[in-house]
Amino acid sequence: QNLSYANGKKYTIANITVKGNTSFNDQTIITYSGLRKGKEILVPGEEISAAIKKLWNSNLFNDIEIYLTEVQGDAAYLEIRLSDLPELNDVKITGIKKGKKESLIKDNKLQKGVKVTENLITTTKNYLQNKYRKDGFLNTKVHINTVPVEDSIKKARVNMVLAIDKGEKVKIENINFEGNTVLSDKKLKKAMKNTKEKFFFRVLKRSKYIEDKYKEDLESVINLYKENGYRDARIITDSLIKNDNKTIDLALTIEEGEEYKFGEITFIGNTVYSDAFLKRKLRIEKGDTYNGVLLEKRIADNSSPDADDITNLYQDNGYLFSKINPVETNAEGNVIDMEIRIIEGKPVYFNKVTVVGNEKTNDHVIYREIRTRPGELYRKSNVVRTVRELSQLGYFDAEQLSPNFINANPEEGSIDMEYSVVESGSSQIELQGGYGGGGFIGTLGLSFNNFSLKDIFNKEAYKPIPSGDGQKLALRLQASRFYQTYSFSFSEPWMGGKKPVQFSTSLSHTKQFLYNPQTRDADKDKRFNITGITFGLAKRLSVPDDYFVLSQAVSFQHYNLKNYNTGLFTFGDGYSNNLAYTVGLSRDNTFNDPVFPMGGSKFSVTAKMSIPYSLFNNTDYTGLKEERENNEAIIADSNKSDLVRNEAAARVSEIDQERFKWLEFYKIKFKGDWYTKAVDKFVFKSSVEFGFLGAYNQDRGVIPFERFFVGGDGLGTYSLDGREAIALRGYPNQALSSQDGGALYNKFSLELRYPITLKQSAKIYALSFLEAGGSYDSFRGYNPFDVKRSAGFGVRIFMPAFGLLGIDFGHGFDSLPGQSQKHGWETHFIIGQQF
Amino acid sequence: CTEYQKALKSEDIALKFTKGEELYNAGKYSKANRLFEQIIPSYRGKPQAEKLMFLNASASYEMEDFYVSSYHFERFVSAYPNSEKLEEATFKSAKSYYELSPVYSKDQAETITALEKLQEFVNIFPESQYLSEANKMVKELDYKLEKKAFEIAKQYNRISDYKASIAAFDSFIIDFPGTEFREEALFYRYDSAYQLAMKSVEYKKKERLEAAKKYYISFKKDYANSEFLEAATDKLNDIEKELENYSTKS
Repeated sequence: QNLSYANGKKYTIANITVKGNTSFNDQTIITYSGLRKGKEILVPGEEISAAIKKLWNSNLFNDIEIYLTEVQGDAAYLEIRLSDLPELNDVKITGIKKGKKESLIKDNKLQKGVKVTENLITTTKNYLQNKYRKDGFLNTKVHINTVPVEDSIKKARVNMVLAIDKGEKVKIENINFEGNTVLSDKKLKKAMKNTKEKFFFRVLKRSKYIEDKYKEDLESVINLYKENGYRDARIITDSLIKNDNKTIDLALTIEEGEEYKFGEITFIGNTVYSDAFLKRKLRIEKGDTYNGVLLEKRIADNSSPDADDITNLYQDNGYLFSKINPVETNAEGNVIDMEIRIIEGKPVYFNKVTVVGNEKTNDHVIYREIRTRPGELYRKSNVVRTVRELSQLGYFDAEQLSPNFINANPEEGSIDMEYSVVESGSSQIELQGGYGGGGFIGTLGLSFNNFSLKDIFNKEAYKPIPSGDGQKLALRLQASRFYQTYSFSFSEPWMGGKKPVQFSTSLSHTKQFLYNPQTRDADKDKRFNITGITFGLAKRLSVPDDYFVLSQAVSFQHYNLKNYNTGLFTFGDGYSNNLAYTVGLSRDNTFNDPVFPMGGSKFSVTAKMSIPYSLFNNTDYTGLKEERENNEAIIADSNKSDLVRNEAAARVSEIDQERFKWLEFYKIKFKGDWYTKAVDKFVFKSSVEFGFLGAYNQDRGVIPFERFFVGGDGLGTYSLDGREAIALRGYPNQALSSQDGGALYNKFSLELRYPITLKQSAKIYALSFLEAGGSYDSFRGYNPFDVKRSAGFGVRIFMPAFGLLGIDFGHGFDSLPGQSQKHGWETHFIIGQQF
Repeated sequence: CTEYQKALKSEDIALKFTKGEELYNAGKYSKANRLFEQIIPSYRGKPQAEKLMFLNASASYEMEDFYVSSYHFERFVSAYPNSEKLEEATFKSAKSYYELSPVYSKDQAETITALEKLQEFVNIFPESQYLSEANKMVKELDYKLEKKAFEIAKQYNRISDYKASIAAFDSFIIDFPGTEFREEALFYRYDSAYQLAMKSVEYKKKERLEAAKKYYISFKKDYANSEFLEAATDKLNDIEKELENYSTKS
């Protein structure tokens, strides 16, 4: 029968009836089908098939058919026949642990009320078999039965019984090779990365048989031969032998073929680069052992996006559509002549460059960071770098950032580029309370990393805070019985929107009170106030390369003491001013994720200095120094009367007040971090730090502020007197420096990190570390090998709303200053700071 | 225990429906929707579902929950193509997207969807009472897309990437032929070309000066009375002066 829609006859529907086992109202089904009384239809025609399709798509019915039961003139009588799909009533699962059942039901959508289709049963079965196979349960059997429920409810319902028999975990007893003479069994087994023989000491990779991985590994075996000149090598047979329920053997028969060597290598089709130049890139000479894998790598290395290969040579110079094919032209006498055929294509220029997905961040913040701009030559390295740098802004999820090529036009040599971003939360709120330093400490910290200052008075922009202009705003209040800290900072990465010059400013004020032993409370009459303001500019440089940033800052701090007599200050009432200029040079090319860099390095050198007042203020510091020493001697002399000694002490504070009226110092710091990818997902981080605080005028001396405090977690509770807390795990906070802080320190650290998850919602990684560092009071006492060592392990969790949280357990191998036995274990909690 | 609470806990779907409708008419959309959501599954496939779904969508719309209302109206339109509320639902589904469209400097996915939906609406209901409103919205949305492209091109000029700016303005002028930014675009394109030429390396300078001059001519031809003309002409004088160097040499 060959009926087409075109010659269908026109009828008017006179009536529709519904038949079959269904709990639905007839009228409901008719309405849903879209057919209705009085409607004109063609038979055969689209309307009927549309109605069947619609009913099918409802996923409620089975066996749907529509019949033309009677025809009277042009009046048609239709009948819809269908039956309800059974609903799932209950699932019974046997053979797995109770805890796993729920997730299994969820994964396969086996909730109550779901319509049970053949498809559902098959996909569930396949899912389960694959799932357990992946874990090495090769003999997994899954049976699914459905049992109709018979009760007073008329609805068709079934119970499902899922019987899972995982069987024993199957391990590989032996992998046997046959036919291999050139390469040993051991080498071949090593090449198989994911298919391993069972072995008691195997810890990192368990022995299991997973078919996909096994197929990949067979490929690796062949590649190993190819790397050694045996380009004809192949696996003739591979078989899986079941020993018992627990183990299998794998038997591979290999035909090695003969060894080949490279012959003449010629290039064809290259106009941009000369033969000689390309040959140098290829680094393969005539007579070398034939190595297909190496050849492929030199032409296009897929394992690394910025490898030094010929494809990237073209890709980085606009030849997006270039194709490079190595072809064997002659293989006589086991010497292979190669012809490398190059189709260069036109150089490609970017036409449009767009960003999508920026629901919060304004265009201008993103476009200025993009290195692929309209009208520019396509360069792969620029695309890679743009992705890297956009992720580092911290506004977007690094894992989901993708560059998409659209509207590629090889004839005209143009392409459009679209960066697809997904916003991630870039604001952090810190609200904490806890006991420490002799009392309750409360902290409220707000930091907005993608703030919009211009919208601050725009009520509509508060959802929940004005954002999208890439500015950073942070507020922090911290208070305990003994001190209060208020700080505010703001920065704009592109001042004026024209150049990448970052402007930043911060304001802070802290108050500290001395402990009053009588009331066991803070003594509000004895206080030490610090007020400071800083302005800074940071500029991205283009020389030596554009990963360098030059930063400069001017800061002013005013210290004010009232009745604050401690060992640190000989003058209890007085003040001190710190006007300093800081210049820093840093380079950062770490990638991709700022929370967990996989590679690159980061280092910085900074110098902070005051004006060398002593050069021109005509104060005789040598005289003062001598006078101070004399007076110190008097104070120390217990034979002198109290009156004389007090007078001397008063004179010492006067001298010190003179010395520190305006702080005179310079401070030099160096810090370098290197990230290297080790095996698998392990990342190795090595770092070196060094800092030195010096005085221009030795008689005036090293200032009591701005010092280094080594030891512990490195979190500065109050760092406003310029002090720097240097982390050294395995020891208590600041324990490795003398009471007043060191003037010099160095630190070396090695860390091995492993990412547990790098999802957007929470990034977690584990780490282990080895550290060594030391703090010294002067350059004379400096010995880079006189360090305190430690080792340990820990874990970090980064969640967008909370920042970084972590815990480290460190073991100090050396003793604390003034003690004789090694320090031992120390636990550190890390909040909001990265090592 | 209020009547609403009673309805909420009741098993009687008809009661929930009437109570919900009452609440809807009284402007208590959030409460109404809570009731509607409870009974929608039970009414699926029944004749009353049409009204229910419409009220559900409208309540979301009135609550300014436009993500939800756009989706509900869309579903309504595909489920009841013969409904008498079809026109209103189609319009409101489009308008929901219009309401979702953000400021021009952010991702414009909703703007583009809104434009498509509005165009569809105008095509299907060319005589609609909502036509003038629809046209007004289209204009507003078009303006956003123009402004976005214009500002991006202008930013390249601001950050001194003149080549990118010229290329971006070129595309802009082609993509938005009737834009009200055309005058400014032509001016800034010329400005970018001028800056590029003046700061050019020597061997490309002459060529770039001449290119800039061409941009001036096309700007002046279309906008002889432009407020930017004076600034443009000043720059042209610079160009001419520079070009003299080349004519005397040869």
